Amino acid sequence: MSRLPLPLRISANGACSLVLAFLVLPILSVVPVSFNRSSFIYLPPKAYSDAWYGRFFADTEWRSSLLHSIEVALLATAMALVLGTLAAIGLRRVGGRLRAGLAALFLAPMIVPVIVTAVAFYRSALDVGLNGTIIGMSLGHLLLALPFVVINVGISLRAVDPNWIRAAEGLGAGPWTIFRTVTLPHVVPGIVGGAVFSFVTSFDEVVIAVFMAAYSNKTLPVKIWESIRLEFTPVVAVAATMMILIAIVLYACAQAITPKAREGGL
Amino acid sequence: MTASGLSLHIAGVSKRYGSFKALEPTDLDVRAGEFLTLLGPSGSGKTTLLNLIAGYSEPNEGEIRIGKRDVTRLAARHRNFGMVFQNYALFPHMTVSENIGYGLAVRGVPREESARRVAEMLALMQLGSFADRSIQQLSGGQQQRVALARALVIEPDLLLMDEPLSALDKQLRRQVQLELRRLHLKHGRTTIYVTHDQEEALVLSDRIAVLDQGRIQQLGRADDLYNNPINSFVAGFIGESNLIPVIVKSISGSRALVESEGLRKSFTVEAGPRIEAGGNAQLLVRPEHLLITGKMEAGGYDGISAEIIEIAYLGELNQFTLLLESGQTMTAREVAGRSLGLGAKVHVAWKPGCARVVTSSTREKEKKSNA
Repeated sequence: MSRLPLPLRISANGACSLVLAFLVLPILSVVPVSFNRSSFIYLPPKAYSDAWYGRFFADTEWRSSLLHSIEVALLATAMALVLGTLAAIGLRRVGGRLRAGLAALFLAPMIVPVIVTAVAFYRSALDVGLNGTIIGMSLGHLLLALPFVVINVGISLRAVDPNWIRAAEGLGAGPWTIFRTVTLPHVVPGIVGGAVFSFVTSFDEVVIAVFMAAYSNKTLPVKIWESIRLEFTPVVAVAATMMILIAIVLYACAQAITPKAREGGL
Repeated sequence: MTASGLSLHIAGVSKRYGSFKALEPTDLDVRAGEFLTLLGPSGSGKTTLLNLIAGYSEPNEGEIRIGKRDVTRLAARHRNFGMVFQNYALFPHMTVSENIGYGLAVRGVPREESARRVAEMLALMQLGSFADRSIQQLSGGQQQRVALARALVIEPDLLLMDEPLSALDKQLRRQVQLELRRLHLKHGRTTIYVTHDQEEALVLSDRIAVLDQGRIQQLGRADDLYNNPINSFVAGFIGESNLIPVIVKSISGSRALVESEGLRKSFTVEAGPRIEAGGNAQLLVRPEHLLITGKMEAGGYDGISAEIIEIAYLGELNQFTLLLESGQTMTAREVAGRSLGLGAKVHVAWKPGCARVVTSSTREKEKKSNA
């Protein structure tokens, strides 16, 4: 990059900055809005206040929707991690055409329009009485989160030399010990990455949640969506700010954990 | 030599992958304390056989015993062998000590005993100062020693090695060969060693099994394989050889009368095993057994006219490439000292009793039928 002539470099940097601003600024604009004193939306705000944060936490519906979102996302993430890691390991073991077919199946929810998945899942859930339940919503989100774990863990598994497994086996280690001491230290980065993606995918998911949520267990995105149809109060901006914050914290944690994870041994 | 480790018995073991026969039914007995090399080109079945011994794959038929124990259907982790892999397969997220101690840790050996045995191994392999290093900080030769230490520290019944020196440069390889030999002579651990490098096999082994096309072609001591190869494949794979296609005319006692169509000549030579009158076979002469003379010596050995087309100086030896009238080439070696010029017309003969007729290997029979 630094080899480019100066005028070209300036215009390239300028173009990049514009694209970045276009992507990020609308999202970040909710942060000042949430500190607005007025109940109308001004940008930039004419006066600042944290009053709307008080309103957010005082309102049981907002508060419980945040807790529901966290609960659903944690459940979906836990299931996605276990199933996705097992699936990724399994995919490494089967060969050729079967692997390609199974991989396509696992990754399908990324390609199938979410609304289709949501309707199909909604219809199926009716038969087993999962509609309106937290576990039902988590299972719906599991569909969307699973591909992220399969992909992330799958990529880190590629770094695991099959001969390490055979060497450990020859030295007397059983399958679980081999997984714990040889495979796992190398796939922790993939698992952490998959976990963050899973959590965030579920946490901000609205389509399946709208279909699956009951009145008493709305998630935060569902609550935001309902509120904004009635009135756009700065409380919505507070909710959005919380979501951004949680996403940033998660990515930061993932970054902090990943390099350390490699050093684990027996 | 003290023998440690157990004997290995393989009876009628075979392995197929689909319709591909990786290993034909094979018998092999390895004595306790013996260093046996499986030598062959890639695809010869040597690695297949090693993996069956280790239990990384299961045979279709046959029986494998380590000592008195039948391990044919036993999982690899219960077989108590140490293995050194071609790429070493060291665990990159562990230190040198942790790598060496892995087998002891999974066996539940108490911490103090494990530490003592790892320390002994580090000292034996001259790795003492590397105990806490990570694997990535080691050179190829050091990694090789860690891999060997990791395999030996568990006091295995068998030591299995899969081309462990192929990643090292030539000079280091020779040095490690000698170290391996010394280590084996000292501890006498039963060792199965896989390689495609005949020199390595000759330096290290008590006995060598030469494999080709999923079959042990011949099993024996190095000198035995060199002097009495069972067929043209073994002759070509162990040492260098000149092979001339011939037809066996008749056999009397240990000698056979053979005829070369290309040379339009008949010779009486030693008959190798399984030679039958009327069949196609190969006449084998080692380069050092060829004699080059200026003219045919009357009453001397059988001779062939040839032209010197290439001379290579190998230090103490000169190597001549000779073009025969039939269009074939032969290689001759002799102690340097004589000046023979390029293009010289000469006669070639062999020392009495040094030419043999051996059967064509299946490989060469196939080549012929494809042609």
